[in-house]
Amino acid sequence: MAIYVLRKLAFFLGAVFVASLAIFLLIRAAGGNVAAIVLGKDATAEAINALAHTYGLDRPLPIQYFDWLLNMLHGDLGQSFRTKELVADLVTDRLSISIPLALAGLILGLIIAIPVGTIAARNIGRPSGAFLALVSQIGIAVPVFWAGILLSVLFGVRLGWLPTGGWIDWSESWVGAIRSLVLPVLSLGLIMAAVLIRYVRSAVLDVMNQDYVRTARAVGMTRTQALLNVGLRNAALPIVTIVGLQIAELIGGTVIIEMVFSLPGLSRMILANVAAREVIVVQSTVMLIIVFVIFVNFAVDLLYGILDPRIRNAA
Amino acid sequence: MTPPLSPGAPAIEVKDLVVTNGDVTAVRGVSFSIPAGGRMGLVGESGSGKSMTALALMGLLPMGWHTHGEVLHDGADLAKLSDKALSSRRGRTLSMVFQDPLSSLNPVRRVGDQISWVIRHHTGADRKTAEAQTLELLRSMNLPRPENLVRAYPHEISGGQRQRIMIAMALACYPQLIIADEPTTALDVTVQKQVLRLLNSAVAERNSALLMITHDLPIIAAMCDTVAVMYAGRIVEMGPVQEVFRHPRHHYTRGLLDSQPTMDNIALDGSSRLVSIPGMVPPLHDLPSGCAFNLRCPAATDKCRTDMPELGGETSLKSACWHPIARADEVAAQ
Amino acid sequence: MTIAATATIAPKRRRRLDLNASLVVGLVLTLGFLAVAVVSFVWLPSNPNIPVIKNRMLPPFLPDHWLGTDGLGRDIIAQLMVGARTSILVGAGGASIALFLGTITGLVAAAYGKLADETISRGADIMLSIPGMVTALVLAATMGSGALTTILALSAFFTPSFTRVIRAAAMSVLQEDFITSARLYGRGKLFILARHVIPNIGGVMIVQFTLYFAAGILTEAGLSYLGVGVTRPSISWGMMLNEAQQTVGISSPLAIWPGLAIVFVVLGLNLLGDGLRDVLDPKLKQRRA
Repeated sequence: MAIYVLRKLAFFLGAVFVASLAIFLLIRAAGGNVAAIVLGKDATAEAINALAHTYGLDRPLPIQYFDWLLNMLHGDLGQSFRTKELVADLVTDRLSISIPLALAGLILGLIIAIPVGTIAARNIGRPSGAFLALVSQIGIAVPVFWAGILLSVLFGVRLGWLPTGGWIDWSESWVGAIRSLVLPVLSLGLIMAAVLIRYVRSAVLDVMNQDYVRTARAVGMTRTQALLNVGLRNAALPIVTIVGLQIAELIGGTVIIEMVFSLPGLSRMILANVAAREVIVVQSTVMLIIVFVIFVNFAVDLLYGILDPRIRNAA
Repeated sequence: MTPPLSPGAPAIEVKDLVVTNGDVTAVRGVSFSIPAGGRMGLVGESGSGKSMTALALMGLLPMGWHTHGEVLHDGADLAKLSDKALSSRRGRTLSMVFQDPLSSLNPVRRVGDQISWVIRHHTGADRKTAEAQTLELLRSMNLPRPENLVRAYPHEISGGQRQRIMIAMALACYPQLIIADEPTTALDVTVQKQVLRLLNSAVAERNSALLMITHDLPIIAAMCDTVAVMYAGRIVEMGPVQEVFRHPRHHYTRGLLDSQPTMDNIALDGSSRLVSIPGMVPPLHDLPSGCAFNLRCPAATDKCRTDMPELGGETSLKSACWHPIARADEVAAQ
Repeated sequence: MTIAATATIAPKRRRRLDLNASLVVGLVLTLGFLAVAVVSFVWLPSNPNIPVIKNRMLPPFLPDHWLGTDGLGRDIIAQLMVGARTSILVGAGGASIALFLGTITGLVAAAYGKLADETISRGADIMLSIPGMVTALVLAATMGSGALTTILALSAFFTPSFTRVIRAAAMSVLQEDFITSARLYGRGKLFILARHVIPNIGGVMIVQFTLYFAAGILTEAGLSYLGVGVTRPSISWGMMLNEAQQTVGISSPLAIWPGLAIVFVVLGLNLLGDGLRDVLDPKLKQRRA
């Protein structure tokens, strides 16, 4: 287990490093002359140079990169050019929306996908199995934002039960915040479920075809008992891995849903700051998201190592 | 523990077993009977249908495959039972040991737990009792340090130990019949003997019947009373082991015996050259008409190519051949 | 029935049916989609971009506008048809580039030694951890929106997945015996890759292309919805949904048609890809219950 953990840790650190480099280069290379854009068309050359100097934008790129990296490691995510707000503050506000949304969406997706995927696997070859497979196929073809729009039309416009958008902050009203999140979480969760059902079904089928499931039946388990006692426990391994792989998709879905329902989460902040050429803000925020995803994958790998005795008990 | 069989009732009686998936028929009409405590060997090459026969008896065929015919065991016809009814017998009156113990054991549970589950499920014992019985069971099988063994995961122990665990699981509830499908093929040669010896004594202790499936003839000679030889889904020869191996009547059996590389008790005709049966086993979806062996048989005639022979014979040895090999003393007697 | 008769039953043909349903339905939907896009170059019910205010928000099932008009009086069907072109251009474009790059990197990883394999595989893994939507947003917003940027974003997003799939497929082909004999004959690596490996992974390439074509259409719709994909005068179904959302309090049908179009096309391509995969890899059909 120790070697396994070290390997995964090394990968985690390496991935963060490489990703930070990629993001930095991407944003700087594609960004154009930042100071010029921030100041606008009528700025003089001196004003541009002065601004560039104040923010260290005229230093060589490698120095800017390492400076940024080291600052981030100390928790200093930089600040906005215009408003001087700390990126750290801007982000924390938004996180109180984006994280509950993403988390709840994932949990809802799993709550639906695991039983449905298992049933679909159990009923392969039968009409009910084919029906579930078809439902799942249609589900993955549905764009997440369309699901959001349809749900907001149905529950918001037609029935008027829930808000069609907008956000009531936690500090104002718990109930209001939750009401603002219901439709977004539902849209995200349903689409995540559709994606996950295929993988759960495939994982369960693979496990059910293993020899040890046959042995379980040979010693007296019915098909259902074998599925629940042996199959699911073993399918937990690939399912955990799949969840890790889907985190990137989850983030993508969260970003879109925030826009559909006008939630002031991270995605709106990123888009606004990109338009305003606030490179530091964008760099740091995107980096934060990427580190989060890579970290989740690392945590998933650890969890897998714990669940599988072949890895857990190894040297 | 299962109640003893009514005296005289066979452990299992198979009548006209057919196993098919609609396109291919792997078992084409097989009948045999194993008396209580009896031991039968089922011999054949890959593709002969012997494993499918075993899986059919247990009701563990892969999806899409169906059974026809009768399988009489423990007072019921297994072929007609639902999966639920069958599952109450599996592991209790009827059990099976599979070929590859590594893939056949649950990799995420300790081996001791896997055995105690069987005991708890069929006897209703509580966890502690079942665990104690598991230890007893392993001790009775002469497995060293069972207290440590039960806590191990399958990947942590050797192949031989894994197979012994599987045997323990199969025999825990004193079944009437245990089916062993190539139990030692996946093991090192040095370990094979130990495992077979264990199987032998454990089966004898419980007075269980044994169906030993293998392509390894000496194992059958050492462990079984009767043997059935399968070819292309049918039994072509069946009878007491000594009879079949000393005086086979079917040409396929003869060919099998002749092609054994080392045999001390069995090849009595003195030949020591390695011979093989010419040709190959025909694929099950493309069988020749008449006797399936006719393409490779030295004694094949036109009749063999058109008419399918049935098992027959006046002695305890039955063979399915139009031109069975004559015994030397038979010829003399005529 | 006697045993002899049972043994000679002719093999039934029923199993072939279910693996072709996916393929057939997928093919029909995909071809329909492609046909609509092709026809759009030759004929449109009316101009999809010129506002005709007096016709705004017409309901469907009218003679001139079968699916109605949008908030500026533009015909829905015309917009859908032109939107199909965008979906194909961007989806297929992104998938093609990703296929090309992914095949090269995948083959290199599979055939040029451990170091190349480790580097490429780790690199692909890292790129896969980066949420594509976020990078696409950043890319599109810094380089400007439009079809080209979206295609580039999609290529970057999809290439690592292609790399992994091609690498796996190539590695399994390279294990085969006929490769060993080719090597013993003295055939060079490039020759083996071109003559033996690629033809054998062709099926995998086609299936993956189809599936990523579908994914590309979905992603492009999302980006266009957010405003960072294609913009007028180009038309995208995602963009149509964005515009529709603004009128949703008044009339809902506008929000339905482009979404349905996306669902049908993506569904069709996914079914096609899965159907092709079943046909090309029959070993997967053996399933125990």
